[in-house]
Amino acid sequence: VKLITKGIALSLAFASTATIGCGGEDADDPFGTNTLIILQRPARNEMGDIFQYTSYRAGAHIIKLSPPTADGIQTRICCDQDPAFAEADIGAFDLSFDADELEDGTMVGQMVFSAKLTASDNYGLFMMSLSTGAIEQLPTDSQRDFVYPTFLAGGKIAFVTNEAVDEVIGGQPNQQPQHMDEYERGTTTQLGFMNNDGSDMVLGPRNLSHRVFPTPLANGRVLFTQWDHLGTQNAGHLMTTNPDGSVLREVFGKEGTGITNSYLKAVEVAPGRVLAIGSSRDRTVQSGAILDIRLGEVRTLTSDESITGYAGTWRRGSVVADRNQSEENASYRILTANVPLGREPSADRVGRYYDAYPLNAKDYPDLLVTWADGPVESGVLGAAGLSADFGVYLYDSQRQTRTPILNTTENWEVSPRPLRPRTAPLPIAESLPDALAQGGALIGSMNAYDSSLTQIPAGSIYGVRVYEGFSSEEGAPMDFGTREQEGHALLGIAPLHPDGSWAAVTPANVPIHVQMIDRFGLAQVTEPVWTSGRAGESRFCGGCHESRTGNTLIQPGITQAVASGPVEMMHNVRRDLRQSTQFTRDGAIGVPWDTAVQGVFDRNGCANAGCHDGTLNGANWGVTLTEDATGMSVDFIFDLSGEPVNITLGELMITGYTKSYISMAGFMMEDLEEAGISLTPMPGSPPFRPGMVPEFEYRNSPTAAKVNPVQQYPTQDVSVRAFPGAPDAAHGGLTANDHYILGLAGDAGLNFISRENQGSY
Amino acid sequence: MLKSKMQLAAVAFAILASASVASAGRGGSANKIRNAVATGSVDAIIAEIERAEHLVCQDCGDIMTNLLDHDRYEVRQAAAWWFAKRPSVKTVYITQMTDDLASGTPRVVRNAADFLGTVKALGSIPALTTAYRGMGDVEARRHIIRGVGRMANQAGNALLVEGMADADATVRTEAVRWYRDILRQTDATPMFGLLADADETVRANAATSIGGLRGAGARAQLEDLVVNDPSAVVRRNAAWALGRIGDAASRDALTQARNDASGLVRRTAAAALGQLR
Repeated sequence: VKLITKGIALSLAFASTATIGCGGEDADDPFGTNTLIILQRPARNEMGDIFQYTSYRAGAHIIKLSPPTADGIQTRICCDQDPAFAEADIGAFDLSFDADELEDGTMVGQMVFSAKLTASDNYGLFMMSLSTGAIEQLPTDSQRDFVYPTFLAGGKIAFVTNEAVDEVIGGQPNQQPQHMDEYERGTTTQLGFMNNDGSDMVLGPRNLSHRVFPTPLANGRVLFTQWDHLGTQNAGHLMTTNPDGSVLREVFGKEGTGITNSYLKAVEVAPGRVLAIGSSRDRTVQSGAILDIRLGEVRTLTSDESITGYAGTWRRGSVVADRNQSEENASYRILTANVPLGREPSADRVGRYYDAYPLNAKDYPDLLVTWADGPVESGVLGAAGLSADFGVYLYDSQRQTRTPILNTTENWEVSPRPLRPRTAPLPIAESLPDALAQGGALIGSMNAYDSSLTQIPAGSIYGVRVYEGFSSEEGAPMDFGTREQEGHALLGIAPLHPDGSWAAVTPANVPIHVQMIDRFGLAQVTEPVWTSGRAGESRFCGGCHESRTGNTLIQPGITQAVASGPVEMMHNVRRDLRQSTQFTRDGAIGVPWDTAVQGVFDRNGCANAGCHDGTLNGANWGVTLTEDATGMSVDFIFDLSGEPVNITLGELMITGYTKSYISMAGFMMEDLEEAGISLTPMPGSPPFRPGMVPEFEYRNSPTAAKVNPVQQYPTQDVSVRAFPGAPDAAHGGLTANDHYILGLAGDAGLNFISRENQGSY
Repeated sequence: MLKSKMQLAAVAFAILASASVASAGRGGSANKIRNAVATGSVDAIIAEIERAEHLVCQDCGDIMTNLLDHDRYEVRQAAAWWFAKRPSVKTVYITQMTDDLASGTPRVVRNAADFLGTVKALGSIPALTTAYRGMGDVEARRHIIRGVGRMANQAGNALLVEGMADADATVRTEAVRWYRDILRQTDATPMFGLLADADETVRANAATSIGGLRGAGARAQLEDLVVNDPSAVVRRNAAWALGRIGDAASRDALTQARNDASGLVRRTAAAALGQLR
C-alpha cells in the first residue's frame, strides 16, 4: 500500500472533467441536480463505536433541499405523512438508481431507509415512493435490528442485521443464536439481501464480529466494513461479496496494509476506487478523515471509456484503479489534512467528517460531505455537555475547502445525496447451490501447495484441518484463554490428494479457518482469518493464499478431491452437538483444557514429584512477577498439575485457569507490561518459555521438542517420530492419542475453554 | 457559544495527553477510566472499560465497582463484563450480588440482577426468582427478568414464564422477548396466552417470539390478530409469525392482510404468503 502525496500532472490537466452519470461536470452545477436529499437526526453524543447501530433519539426526518445552497428551501419528505413515524429515528437511507426530479419538481423513484419507530422498538427497513410519499415497511423480524439499507442492481437491496441465519438440519430450520462479540458484547450484524418488495430475504454467511456499511460497486459486488477481531487484532477492514452473500474477498486494510484502525462508510468513486472514512474504532462519533483509496493500478482515462466488468461509461479525466487490484498495488490519499486518524480530539476548524459522497471522479474529486467542527470526540463533548454538530458542505478536496450548504444547531444533517439518476451496477446472478455442498458449504482448493505467502515443500502436507469459530453467545462470559483467541471446534480433516487438492463440506454460515497439517498432525500453515460460506456455496480457491489477481478456474471433476467426493464435516450436526465424544484422534472436536489436556498430563504422571511439580528442579522454569511500583512479588513455577492457579499481586489476579494451563500458555505479557509488572527468572531457573507457545505452532513449541510427536496419519504409529531422535525416557511414554490431543490444543489457539467445558466457567 | 468553546478547549487539552489508537483490550488506565467517567459520556466510559479489559491496576476494582451502580444499563453491563474476565473477583461478586438480591433496595437489586445476568451466574437463578416474587418495584423486576434472560439458559425458563404473568406490561414484554432467545428453546406454548394480552406491546412481542420459535399451535390466534387486532404493529408481527410458521391454512388471513390499511403490514403479509408451504 502506498501513500499518494502529490497529484499527478495528467490529472491536473483534466481537472475540470468528470464521470458520465456521476454529475458534477459543470463548475456552476457541481451536483448535477437542483435538489439534495439529506437525513436530519436529532443531535446526540452517543453512537457507540463504529460498529454500533442502535442509537436512538426521536425526531429524525429526511428532507430535500432545493436548490442545494445555504438559502435553499428545506422540505420534509419523510416521514410526517405517516403517524407511525411520530417518534421515529432514522439510521440511514439510500435512493434508487432511477431516483430523479422532473422539471416540474415532481420526484420519481424510491427511497429505502432504516428507522426505529419507538424507543422500545428495533430498527426496521422501509421503502418510500418519492412520487407519492407512501411508506411501506419491508418484512423483518421486529425483535432484531435491520440497518444500513442500500440499493443493488436487479431490484434488490442489501442491509445488515443482527438476525441469525437459521441452521438447517435434516431439512428442518433450527434457530441458532447470533454471534455475540466477547469484546464489546454486541450481537453481531451480518449482511442480508432481499428484493425491493421485501421478498426472498437471504442472510449472508457470518463473521464472528460485525459487518456494517454495505455499498454497491459498479461491478455488481458489494463493499462493506468487517470487524476483524482475531487474537489481539481489533480493526475494521474493507471486504467485498457478491449480492447474495457468496464469494467474500478481502479488499483493503488487512494483514498490516492499512493506515488506521478502521475504514467505514465506503462509497465508490470509480472502478477500483472508493472513498472511506478512516478512524479509530471508538470515541469519534463514527467520524474521521476522508480517504481516497485506490485498489489497483491507477490510471487516468484519456477518453470516455466503458470499462469491462463495470457498469457505466466513465468520462475522460476520471481516475480509476480497476486493473491489477491487490494489496500490493493498493494506494490511498488522505483528503482531509490534519483530521486525526486516531481517537484523539480534533482541533478547531479541523473537526471530523461523518461521511462523504463523490460528485465526480477527478484525481481530487469534489465531494458532498458531512462535517462537524471541534474535537468530535465523545469524552470532550460529554464533559462540555455538547454534541457534535454535523452539517452538509461542498468539499473541494484539492484545495481542502468547505462551502456550507446546510447546518442547523439542533439536528445533525448527514448523508447528503444528489437527487439524480445513477447508473445501476452490473447484475450478478445468484450463485446456484452446488450439489456437492449438500446444503452445507463446499470448501477446498485445487492445489494447497500453491501459495503466495509461503513455500510449502511438495509432499509435506497430509491434509487440511478445518475449525469452526464461536464466541460468547454460547455461554462463556470470560476469555477462552490467555492467548485471546476465539472459541475453536474442529470440524474435520480433509486429506490432501496427490494433485494437491482437497475438499470438504462444512456447516453453512459458520466462521471457519483452516490450517494445513503434516502426517504428525502438526500445523504447518495456519490461515490467519475467519471466513464462511452460505448454504450451497462452493468456496473453492486455487490454493492457500494463491495470488488474488489470478483467476481460479474450477472444473469439478478435474481435481481428485472433487472427483472422489468432499469430506463430510458435520454439516448436518446441530451446532451445540458439535462436541468431542472422546479425546482421541478421531473423537476430539473441542479441546477443553481441564479434562482433555489435563487428562494427558495426569495419565502420564507429568506432575508427579520430581517431574513438573511446581518446584524449581531443573525441569521447571520459575519466574518472579514483581510490581514495579511497590516491589511486591510473587513466584510462579512450571507445574503440570490441574490445580487452580491463583496469583495475586497487588491488584493483579490470575485465576480461572489451571497451573498447567499457565505453564503451557503463559501469561498475557502485554497486560503485565501495561500494569508495570516485570517478570524475571528465579535464580537457577531454566529460561522462561511457556510449554506450548506460540499458538497455532505446536510444532515449534518446547513441548513438541520434548515429546517428539508421533505419526498420526494415515495411521497412528508411535515408532515414527516428527523430529530426529527419540525422546528421553521421561517424555517418551505418551500414546498416539495423547500426542494428538496436545498438538490439537496448541494448534487450535491454545484455549482453556471449549464448547465442552464452557458451562463450568 | 464562547462558553462552549472554552469548555471544549479545556477538556480537549486534558484528553489529548492520553490519546492513542484503539486496540483490543489494551491501552487503558485507571486515570483514563476516571477521566471518561468525569466526562459523563457513555461512549467514552464504555470505550475505556473495554480498553481496560485485561488491565491490572490498583484502583480499577473500586472504579468498576462504582460503575456497577451507574445510572445507565449499558455502563453497568460493561463494568460487569470487566469483572467476568476476572474469575476469582467475579466469584466474590456473585456471592455479594446474590446476597444483595435478598436484602437490597430496588436499585441494588436491579444492579445485582444486571451483574448476575452479564456474568451468566446460573447458580443465582433461585435467588433471582425469590427476589422477583418479593419485589414491588417494576424496574427491579424488569431487570431481574432481563438478567435471567441474558443467561440464555433453560434453567431460567420457569422465571421467564412467571414474568409473562407479571402485573406490569413492561415486565411481561421483557419476559416474552428473552424467552425466545434461550439457547435451544423450542417450546413456544408458554407465550400463546400473551397474544390476548391487553397491552399491544406485549401482544406484538408475543407474536414475534412465537414466530421466532415457529409456534404452530398459535396459528389460529395469529390469523385472528393479523386481521382484527387494532394495532398495526401487532398485525405486522402476526403476519411475520405466520410466514415463519408457513402453514398454507393461513393463506386467507394473510391475503386479507396484504391489503391492510397500514403500510407497516402489507409487505410483511405479502412476504409471508410467499413462505407458505
